[in-house]
Amino acid sequence: MSGVGWVRRSRKRSRFVSQLAIYAALSVGALVMLLPFAWMIGTSLSRQADIAMPRLPRLWPPDPSFFNYTIALNNLPLLRYYTNSLIVVGGSTVGYLFFSSLTGYAFAKGRFRGKQFFFVAFLATLLIPFETRMIPLYLLMKDIHLDNTLLALIVPFLVGGFGTFLMRQYISTIPDDLIQAARVDGANEFLIYWRIVLPLCVPALAALAVLNILWRWNDVLWPLLVISDPHKYTVTLGLANEGKSQGIYTGVALATATIAIMPVLVAFLFLQRRIISGITIGGVKG
Amino acid sequence: MRRAAGGSGLIWYAFVGPAFLLLLLFVGYPTFETFKQSFYQQVGTKQKFAGVTEYSQLVHGGDLSHALWNTALLGCAYLVIVIPLAVVLASLLNKLRRGATPLKVIYFMPQLTSSVAVAIIFNYVFEPDWGLLNGTLHRFHIASTPLWLADPRLGFTGSRAAVTILAVWAGLGYFMLIVLAGLQSIPIDLYEASAMDGASSFLIWRSITLPSLRPTFIFLILTGAFDAMSRFGDLWTLGGPGGSPAGSLQSVVVYLFQTGFVSNDLNRAAAIAVILFCLMLIVTFASFKAVLSREFGFRRKTK
Repeated sequence: MSGVGWVRRSRKRSRFVSQLAIYAALSVGALVMLLPFAWMIGTSLSRQADIAMPRLPRLWPPDPSFFNYTIALNNLPLLRYYTNSLIVVGGSTVGYLFFSSLTGYAFAKGRFRGKQFFFVAFLATLLIPFETRMIPLYLLMKDIHLDNTLLALIVPFLVGGFGTFLMRQYISTIPDDLIQAARVDGANEFLIYWRIVLPLCVPALAALAVLNILWRWNDVLWPLLVISDPHKYTVTLGLANEGKSQGIYTGVALATATIAIMPVLVAFLFLQRRIISGITIGGVKG
Repeated sequence: MRRAAGGSGLIWYAFVGPAFLLLLLFVGYPTFETFKQSFYQQVGTKQKFAGVTEYSQLVHGGDLSHALWNTALLGCAYLVIVIPLAVVLASLLNKLRRGATPLKVIYFMPQLTSSVAVAIIFNYVFEPDWGLLNGTLHRFHIASTPLWLADPRLGFTGSRAAVTILAVWAGLGYFMLIVLAGLQSIPIDLYEASAMDGASSFLIWRSITLPSLRPTFIFLILTGAFDAMSRFGDLWTLGGPGGSPAGSLQSVVVYLFQTGFVSNDLNRAAAIAVILFCLMLIVTFASFKAVLSREFGFRRKTK
């Protein structure tokens, strides 16, 4: 009797030890992931960092102050960059979700001549990388006088084959009876889309929103082409163009980077479940 | 009555039409223009048809092949390191009974940081005298530390190695999450059956886990290859349009940007864009074939 108990206990203990070992191994990796962030924040709080950096890295400065942040906010209109980024990300995401779900609904539940052709045309755009079409797109923006406006960062990204495809797949799983019932009640298709389909699509829309927000927030190539007015810079473009020009002042440069990075990371900590499931949605299916 | 029979009618064109026009304007037209422009040349103030002149000059010039070589090298080095690392870490994460979420969040954090911001941080991390990396080496009393981003030579301590480390740090979390999702989608009875057969855990890993992860690997290689081929933000931030030091960080897209918007040769840039398009198409079809051959092989086995 006691023998069985001992075996069970030792098995429990060995499982505990192996769990601890796994946790330790993963924590070492996590520390490596965190170290650059921690060092960035530590250095950004150091006034000495602008004169001479210590030869041996320190995570916490001997003279912590927000001096570098004051300088960074005075040097660059970082709040302006943030406003611009929010306008671009917000505008393009709302439009992208609207067009993706609207076309997705048509392709999933609609019956119309040429449906196959339109759907294949939408899918075919997935094969064309943005880099291939960006030069004529830039010239087009100049022709319609949208260059140097935030609209140039929104309008070309309102529709995409990926969003349409994802929404079509999702809406296909909605039972036809639900939509049929509304049709019998005399609701028109747009009303059905707005009142019935959209509310059922929230998980897919959330995943799509996460992906689009990340794409638009992080994009630098396209803003680099169409935006030259510093008042129209997004956070990422501002960082790319100005972040290194004051590179000799390490503390200020890293304070700028911290201001550009930390709000996003904090938002991520609050929304991590949504964000992580949104990102993996493509991979699970793959 | 007709409507009740099942949503047919003109309304669907109103749903699809505007989006289709936007795609035509912002995707179809520019793509067509890129192809067209790549066969023209600027002569004085006019565009003149020039056949494949731009292409042949690109092929003979050597700059493009240099950029292609850089892109392939950086992409392969990145994938060869990040995929096995992600598999090991995700397998460990999958074994954890509790407390996995904070670790997932930490590994994923760099993914939320733009490639530009990552490049700015690592510009200082790789600083030869006092950067985080060499400074840590100093702490362990290692005297001769690498130059990292200041060293254009090919090797494990040069600029290309530095940007590969940067990319692995930035991309690892995403790869881990995808592998983890793949691991968790393997049906548990597959494992139970072989555990009953008394198979060793390594044999189980080799004969069940790895084959089941095949679609995940194909997906990761495909998306990873796309990302590597369109890599721009971090390389541009660190090396500028010339990919300094000594062009060692010039990827295809950086070269495309330099040709089009620094040298202002839009026709040649269009030709580079077409070549990039063809390369990506080849990668797409190759991976589709890999997926299809798996389906085909599977069917043959069951017959």
